[in-house]
Amino acid sequence: MSLSLIEGSLLVFVIVCAIGTALLKNTLAAVIAFAAYSLGISIIWLVLQAPDVGLTEAAVGAGIMTILFLIALANTVNRDTDRLFESIRWRTVAFVAAFVLVIGATVPSLPAIGDPTAPVVGGEVTQYYLSNAYKETQVKNAVTAVLAAYRGFDTLGEAVVVFSAGVVALSVLRREVFT
Amino acid sequence: MSADEQPGLYVESTIIMTTVRAVAPFVLTFALFIMFHGADTPGGGFQGGVIAGSVVMMLAFAFGIEAARQWVDVRVVSALASGGVLVFAGVGLGAMALGGQFLQYNVYEPYYYEASKYGIELVELGIGGIVASVAIGLFFLLAAGFGHVTDGEGEP
Repeated sequence: MSLSLIEGSLLVFVIVCAIGTALLKNTLAAVIAFAAYSLGISIIWLVLQAPDVGLTEAAVGAGIMTILFLIALANTVNRDTDRLFESIRWRTVAFVAAFVLVIGATVPSLPAIGDPTAPVVGGEVTQYYLSNAYKETQVKNAVTAVLAAYRGFDTLGEAVVVFSAGVVALSVLRREVFT
Repeated sequence: MSADEQPGLYVESTIIMTTVRAVAPFVLTFALFIMFHGADTPGGGFQGGVIAGSVVMMLAFAFGIEAARQWVDVRVVSALASGGVLVFAGVGLGAMALGGQFLQYNVYEPYYYEASKYGIELVELGIGGIVASVAIGLFFLLAAGFGHVTDGEGEP
């Protein structure tokens, strides 16, 4: 498997940001590293030709989550420290490394990106959506067609989950946040 | 930084205010574009809604959270959230009323040109309203801080 220059540099950037998020002592710095990580991941999604997911990652992961983290941070006490990094616990490192190894072991069995013989491409359901989505829903973006038409009931459920989560958070915390 | 020092959170900056004033209309337009155009290009209600919600957060960072809180009308936010759910469910149930199945867009076909497409866009707009208003609500909720909750309950 060969990586192009842009894929390789994005991967290195994302991994460095992820390690920085875990190791940086200052919480503010960790939040910013996490935002950079999300932005890197969203560009990787674009490179992998999944623009819908990339857009979501950029808007939610890099945008809203960072703002909410920052706002939460502003309401907490931030202890000043001279050290740049957390002290590393080797037992945790060993555990994380083992976990990464187990997950990484599954990567070689994935089909290559854009492989036309990958099982998911040949699948009956995928082919049905690709050939009938426009005819049946008049929507050119097959992702939207699946989300709003074929799996519309699921999406309604998701929307209601978001709605009720917001209502519950606002009512449980009983804050008059609006005047 | 304690909760009492919260006014210090906001730093008035001409540069930020001017930038936000110039950029905010474009961000809102982009959000609406993502929402409306989700049918034919990447994006949709979830992404557009989040971007629309971030416009309010941008304004809060530029002009202060208190100012933004007074500027945002709670009735508009709650109407957007509940209206979104009602629109989505309404499109679904309307199809049943016309003799189709839940969310079967093509039963609207005799009544409107390209009804499936516009039905989906309406649903996307509903989702956008829900997501944007929940994001705005969570933002103001977190910005208000949790330290005040117990204080406020003890006082009266």
